Amino acid sequence: MPKRRDIVAIVLIVLPWTLLITVWHQSAITPLLATRKDDRGDGRSNSRNTFAFKESCSPQNRDIVEVVRTEYVYSRPPPWSDILPAIHVITPTYSRPVQKAELTRLANTLLHVPNLHWILVEDGQKRTPLVSRLLRDTGLNYTHLNVETPRNYKVRGDTRDPRIPRGTIQRNLALRWLRETFNINNSQAGIVYFADDDNTYSLELFEEMRSTKKVSVWPVAFVGGLRYESPKVNTFGKVYGWKTVFDPHRPFAIDMAGFAVNLRLILSKPQAYFKLRGVKGGYQESSLLKELVTLNDLEPKASNCTKVLVWHTRTEKPVLVNEGKKGFTDSNVEI
Amino acid sequence: MATRMKLKLKTVFVLYFMVSLLGLVYALMQLGQRCDCTEHDMPKDRTISRLRGELHRLQEKMRKAESTKQPQKSQPKPSLPTIFVITPTYARLVQKAELTRLSQTFLHVPQLHWIVVEDSPHKTPLVSEFLAKSGLPYTHLHMPTAKDRKLQEGDPSWLKPRGVEQRNEGLRWLREDRRAQPGGDSQQGVVYFADDDNTYSVPLFDEMRNTQRVSVWPVGLVGGMKYERPVVEGGKVVRFHTGWRPSRPFPMDMAGFAVSLKLVLANPEACFDGEAPMGFLESSFLQGLVTMDELEPKADNCSKVLVWHTRTEKPKMKREEALQAQGLGSDPAVEV
Repeated sequence: MPKRRDIVAIVLIVLPWTLLITVWHQSAITPLLATRKDDRGDGRSNSRNTFAFKESCSPQNRDIVEVVRTEYVYSRPPPWSDILPAIHVITPTYSRPVQKAELTRLANTLLHVPNLHWILVEDGQKRTPLVSRLLRDTGLNYTHLNVETPRNYKVRGDTRDPRIPRGTIQRNLALRWLRETFNINNSQAGIVYFADDDNTYSLELFEEMRSTKKVSVWPVAFVGGLRYESPKVNTFGKVYGWKTVFDPHRPFAIDMAGFAVNLRLILSKPQAYFKLRGVKGGYQESSLLKELVTLNDLEPKASNCTKVLVWHTRTEKPVLVNEGKKGFTDSNVEI
Repeated sequence: MATRMKLKLKTVFVLYFMVSLLGLVYALMQLGQRCDCTEHDMPKDRTISRLRGELHRLQEKMRKAESTKQPQKSQPKPSLPTIFVITPTYARLVQKAELTRLSQTFLHVPQLHWIVVEDSPHKTPLVSEFLAKSGLPYTHLHMPTAKDRKLQEGDPSWLKPRGVEQRNEGLRWLREDRRAQPGGDSQQGVVYFADDDNTYSVPLFDEMRNTQRVSVWPVGLVGGMKYERPVVEGGKVVRFHTGWRPSRPFPMDMAGFAVSLKLVLANPEACFDGEAPMGFLESSFLQGLVTMDELEPKADNCSKVLVWHTRTEKPKMKREEALQAQGLGSDPAVEV
């Protein structure tokens, strides 16, 4: 009899304390959950221009939420935010028949990305009115530069002086412009990305690169003669190699479209540029990246480099046989 | 002495129970309210909530900008005629990339309905998932091309007409869908055939929106020339400027014209003829619908190029094929 009473007594003593502790533990977590749910509710209650959120269950793994657009504001870049890191997209371009088409569809892509600054560098002696007009009409936040690749570099030269990869001088000019314009101490956070005008970019890619601290990397489709090339990522989330067939032992066996660099890193290493001469095919990216970062510091994106968010598409050169020597069509009409 | 002790113990116990009960009730009430969680906040969560707040702020900005713009707009959105874009597509390496950048252009066009018709016996998951995430209003159809009509590996692209069955299927669906919705409003609209590798500028869709019968405009980089275009005199199309077979009834590219929905519905037999000789595909459709002088010239009397007939190179897969022969091909689960 006393035993049962003792037991009852002990249980009655211990019970409230255990309940108290569990409740206290719960209350530490639930306010966080409550905040999330409330925000989602607020997000839906907005009537017209709404974004519906699709969140993953474990925010520890993904810092970025997937945004599915239900209705959209048309033909206008999103308003500038003071908090979001800016993405500086460097695009070298050169005059050829498909140039306006390429820049048009690239601009249509970039118009969806918030806080985007497009740095377009023409390969030419002066800035062409075609590009100036195009840039002005898009309404994008842009910088229009130009620098001419010296003629002996452009031509497929002899073996003693091999052709430098296209766009190098233009990209270097853009890097120099960034270093002259931005101060490492008091500028908004930024990311630098090299985007060629004939590739295809998904909108998700820009959000992936926005959180770059030093240099982030991801897979690129249709390069190196493969469906896609990608960095090799180990279970700790660190890059340890490159899944390519073409010279996987390059320091950075990655395409220009496969990495982004934090602006701060660019500004802090003012001597880092793409090497102009004596660069073997496929080593151009390495020539810049080896000055900036080591393999260990690379941040893999796109779900640990398992998703393809950028495609290295190339546009066919249009066959203009019917133009003839004198040009059949009116040259005043801009294409 | 003993009873007094006992009594004291009893009161102690009672007091203890009361206190713990009160504490429990208090804690339960605290559950419903937000606590000051700065000790619990992890930096990631803080970033997330900060970014979310930023997003809301930006949405507010956009909404304010839209509402100030509204009174200046001539017509409220619902009465804008819908542009029905029919895009035939087929599975190949660059398909997802092409559809991605096409959708990025279409997202800028209000009141656009995308009809994607796959050349396939069934709907593929790649296209289904892509369309669901695209953010566009869409209809997903499929229609396989008969084997003898299909281009084989190594055939030049001009050998057989492409996309015929798919465009006809798009037209068929449109006619059926509109028949199910009687009323004048549902007859308003424009039908445009947009291939998935061309490049479209956003102003093009503004130009075609008020098509009464068939409107036309120049197309860049087609017909072996910088551009092809209808020649306009006195506001009417008198002939066509093209480098190849200008004697065709309508020597235009698929991307160079749009048809009003009314006309499509009024002529239920009008469709593309797969048997037509090379280059006559567009004519086979337009012949029954309109005559040359009824054409409506757009794009500044057909002097501006707003659409380009770009073509995407087939990516070189030599190394991939070599790897696959060794059984070391890239992960097919990764969608490209």
